[in-house]
Amino acid sequence: MMENNFNRRDFLKVMGWGGAAVTLTGCGFTSVEDGREVVTSYVEPPEYALPGISVYFNSTCAQCDAGCSVSGRVREGRVLKLEGNTASAINRGKMCGLGQAGVQAHYNPDRVREPLLKGKAISWEEALGLIDGKLKAVKGEEVAFLTGGLSGHVKVMFKNYMDTLGGANHFVYEAASPAVVRASNKKAYGVSMPRLHLDKAKVVMSFGADFLGSWVSPVHFSQQYAAFRKGNRPEGRGVLVQIEPKMTLTGANADRWIPANPGSEGVLALGIINALGKAGLSIPADIAGLTRDYGVDRVSKETGVSVEQINKLAGLLKERTPSLVLVGDAAEGYLHGSQNAAAIALLNRVLGNIGKTIDAPANVPFPQVAPTVGSRSAVKALNDKLTSGKVQVLFTYAANPVFSAPSVLKFKDNLQKVPFKVALAHYMDETAVEADLVLPLDSALEDWGTGVPEYLAEGAQLNIQQPLMEKLYSGTRGVGDILLALLKQRRANEYKGYEDFYSYLRHSLVSIKGVLGGSGKDDDIFWAETLSQGLVKLSGNNGSLAAKANAAGLNLPAPAAEDSNYPLRLIPSVTASMRDGRNANQPWLQESPDPLTTIVWDSWVEIHPKTAARLGIVEGDIIEVASRNGAIKAQAYLFPGIHPDAISIPLGYGHEAMGRYAKNVGANAFAILDQAVDKETGELAMNETRVKLSKVGKRIIVTKEEGPAGGMQMGKKIAVRVASDKVNLSEEI
Amino acid sequence: MHSFLRSVFILAGLCLCVSSHAADALPPLTTADSLGPKVEQPIEFPHNRHAGLRDPADAADPSVPAKGGMEINCMYCHTGARRSNVAAIPPLQKCIGCHRNIESVKETPRIQKLFEYWEAKKPIPWKKVHDLPDFVRFNHERHVKRFVFAQNKPVQEACGYCHGDVKTMTVAQRQKPLSMGWCVTCHEKDHPVSATSSETSHGPNDCWQCHK
Repeated sequence: MMENNFNRRDFLKVMGWGGAAVTLTGCGFTSVEDGREVVTSYVEPPEYALPGISVYFNSTCAQCDAGCSVSGRVREGRVLKLEGNTASAINRGKMCGLGQAGVQAHYNPDRVREPLLKGKAISWEEALGLIDGKLKAVKGEEVAFLTGGLSGHVKVMFKNYMDTLGGANHFVYEAASPAVVRASNKKAYGVSMPRLHLDKAKVVMSFGADFLGSWVSPVHFSQQYAAFRKGNRPEGRGVLVQIEPKMTLTGANADRWIPANPGSEGVLALGIINALGKAGLSIPADIAGLTRDYGVDRVSKETGVSVEQINKLAGLLKERTPSLVLVGDAAEGYLHGSQNAAAIALLNRVLGNIGKTIDAPANVPFPQVAPTVGSRSAVKALNDKLTSGKVQVLFTYAANPVFSAPSVLKFKDNLQKVPFKVALAHYMDETAVEADLVLPLDSALEDWGTGVPEYLAEGAQLNIQQPLMEKLYSGTRGVGDILLALLKQRRANEYKGYEDFYSYLRHSLVSIKGVLGGSGKDDDIFWAETLSQGLVKLSGNNGSLAAKANAAGLNLPAPAAEDSNYPLRLIPSVTASMRDGRNANQPWLQESPDPLTTIVWDSWVEIHPKTAARLGIVEGDIIEVASRNGAIKAQAYLFPGIHPDAISIPLGYGHEAMGRYAKNVGANAFAILDQAVDKETGELAMNETRVKLSKVGKRIIVTKEEGPAGGMQMGKKIAVRVASDKVNLSEEI
Repeated sequence: MHSFLRSVFILAGLCLCVSSHAADALPPLTTADSLGPKVEQPIEFPHNRHAGLRDPADAADPSVPAKGGMEINCMYCHTGARRSNVAAIPPLQKCIGCHRNIESVKETPRIQKLFEYWEAKKPIPWKKVHDLPDFVRFNHERHVKRFVFAQNKPVQEACGYCHGDVKTMTVAQRQKPLSMGWCVTCHEKDHPVSATSSETSHGPNDCWQCHK
C-alpha cells in the first residue's frame, strides 16, 4: 500500500518544493484576539513609570539563609524576574536556581491571605486582641517561640517582644543546618563560621560538604570554585577530592569521589595524617600520638578506601599546599559527628592551612543584628518542653517542625498540649495547619527587613530587604509590622513614635548613618542611597582565628556493628532545590530535574546497582523503606554514586499540606529518621538511621531525562499536545 | 525513486487544493477580511475628533466629525510609542488635564463618564484592540524611531502602517492582519535609512527579533 512506501524523507523533499505555500496559508489569525483582554492604564502615573520599561529594585533573597543580594526587575508594578546584585560580595551579581524561584514564593496561589482563627477568617484587630488577651493570662516562661534563623531588625523585634513578655523561651530551629560543623569550628578555630578561600587552595578535600549545591553559601562558593579550577591562576588548577557516601553535586564535580564507609570519615582523616607523617611531613606531637595507631592497613579496612588511595591522597596534600579541608553534612551526621569533625579539622592544622585558606570572618559591629543560627537540637528541646505541658502559648515563624521533626518525637501530638498556637506563616504548611491562629505574612518581595548572613564573604554587610511591588493581598502583613503591633500592646509609649515597621527601620538606620558610611549626608539622601544599593557595608575589624585544633579528647569509635534487621544506612540528602522542604511549593523547583538523577516531581530512593541486583530491585520499582520508626514508599533509582551499604532519599518532599504544588508530592524522609543524636552537641545525627527495603510489587516508569516514554508527572501524562485553537490565551495566567 | 514519484503526485494534488488560497496570500494590505471585530469600549472614544483633520476635505464623509478634528499628534497621548515597547493607553490624568478646561463638552455623557472614573480614581477598563500573542514581542519604539524620526514621515502615516487611518475612526478597530506573514511583507521591503539618504535596509528577519 501507499502508506508503506511513503516515508518521512520523501515527504520532506516534496515539502521543500510546495511546502512554502502550504505553510503560509497555515498561518491563521487565530492568535490575535481583539477585545478579549483588558488593558489597564494608570489613573495618575508615577513619574518614573513608563509602561513597557522595566525598573530594578535591590533587595535580598529569602529562599535560603545565604543572604544573596538580588535585583528585581519590575514592570508595570509587577516583579517579573530576580537577578543577582553585583554590589554584594556574597553573590557578586549571580543567582542560583533556588533564588530564581523566589518569585513563585511571592505569586504562589496558595498564600494565606487573611488572619485565620481555626480556619475562619478574622480581622487583624481581633487577631492581635486575641493574642494580647491570651498572653495576659499566662506567665512569660509559659510562652515559647520557635523560629528559623534570625538576623537584622526582625531579630531585634523578636528579642524585644520576648524580653517584654519576660522569660519567653526561644528555640531556633533549622532542619538542615551545619550545626555540628559550627560547634567543631568553634573548638578548632575559635569561630563557628570562618572565611574559606577555595580560590587560594591547591587542593580542596571536602568530607561531604556540598558547597556547590546546598552547603552554607553555594552561590559564593561556586564562584570561588570557578577561580579554583582555572588553570591560569598562579597556584595552577586546583584538585577537588570529595569524600562522601552519597554523591552530591560537588561530588559529581570532583576529580576523585571517594565513598568511604559511612561514619568512617574521621578515621580516614587520621589515617591520612598518619600517612602524611610517614611521607615525611612533620606532625605535632599530640596529633602524632593520636594517629600512631591509624596505619594505612587498619584505616583501609575500616573505611573501605584502598591503601593506594590513602597514600595517594596523603601525597597529594603533602605536595600541594596550601590546601583546604572541609567538613560537611556527610561527616557530621553520626553519633560521633563531633569527633569526626574534630579529626578532620586536625588535617587543616597539620597541613598549615589555618590562616591561609581558613581565615577569620569579619566581626559584625552590631551584635544585636548579627545572625542567630538554628540547630536541629532545638526542636527536640521544644518537644521536651511541650511534653511537660509547660507551654501555654507557642509562636512559630519560618520553621515547620510538624513536617521536619522525626515522627518518633510525636511533635504533632505534643503540639496539641499547647492551648494556643500562633503561626506566622506564608502558606498553610503542616505547622500552620495545626495552629489555632494563623497570621498571614507579606512575601519576601513585599516586606521590609534587614539581614546579616552567617557566612560573610568579605567585610560585614547588612542586607536590605524592601518591597519590590505593592502587596498582592491587602490582608497580609510584614513580620516586623506584626511584632511592632504586638510590642505596642505592651510598651505603647516606647513604640508610639513608629507608625509602622518601615519607619522603625528607617529611624534605626538613619540614626546611625555615621557608622554606616553616611556621615554628613542628608537623612533622605542617605536612606535613598541605602535602598538603592540594597545593602550597607559595615565597617569593622576582622576577627581573629585561634588555631586550637588538637587531639585532646578525640576518641573515634570502632566501626558500627551490622544490623541484620535493618541492613542499610539511610543517607537523607539535602538537594540544591528542595533543601529542608520549605520551598517545595514552588513548581519551578519541583520541575527542575535533580542534577544527579534528573528526576522531577517526586521522591526517589538511590540504590547502588550491586545492592539492587542482590535485592532483585530494578529502576522504577516502588520500594518500601522501613526504619525502626516508620516506613515510606518511593520509586527506586539505581545509582552508582552511592555507597553499596547505604541508600539515599532526598529531603523536602512528601508534604501533607503547603498547597497544591507541594502536597502529596513524594515521600517525607524526615518522618522515618531515628532520633539518634551526636553525643557532644545533641544534634540529630541525620545519617544514623538504619533501614530495610522491600518491594511492594508495583513498578512505574521513572520520569527523568532520557527516560523511556510514558512517564507520568503529578499523575498526568507529560507534554500532552493541545491544538492551538483550543487554548484560550487570554485566560492563561 | 518510484515511491518518491508517487508521493510527489499526492502532494501535488494537495498543493493544488491550497494554491487558490496561496495565490492571494499577499493581499492588499487592508482588506475587509483583515478587519478586526468591532470592540465595545467602556467609553466610545472618538479618535476622529481628537486626531482628525481640522478642515476635512470631504465634509460629506460620515467618518469625519461634523465639527472637524483637532489634529492632535498620536504621541501626545500614546507617549510610550517613541520610547517603549508599548505605545501605552494614556493615564486618566491626561484626559482630565485637558477636559477639566473644556467647558463646552463637560455635560456630554461620555465626558461625564470620564469624570466618574476620575473621581472614583479607577482606571478605565479599555479592551485591547491590537493584542498580539504572548510569544510575539513587538517594539513600538524601533518602528517610530525609524519612520517618524529617521525618515521624517508624518506621524499619522507611520502609525497608520499598522493601525490604519485611525483619524477617521471613533473606537479603534484593527485594520491589518497583524499576522507574521503580514509583518514579513514589510520587513522584506527596502526602506531608506533616513529622509535624505538613498541608502536602504530592510527589517530584521531573525526569528528571535520578535520571538524571545
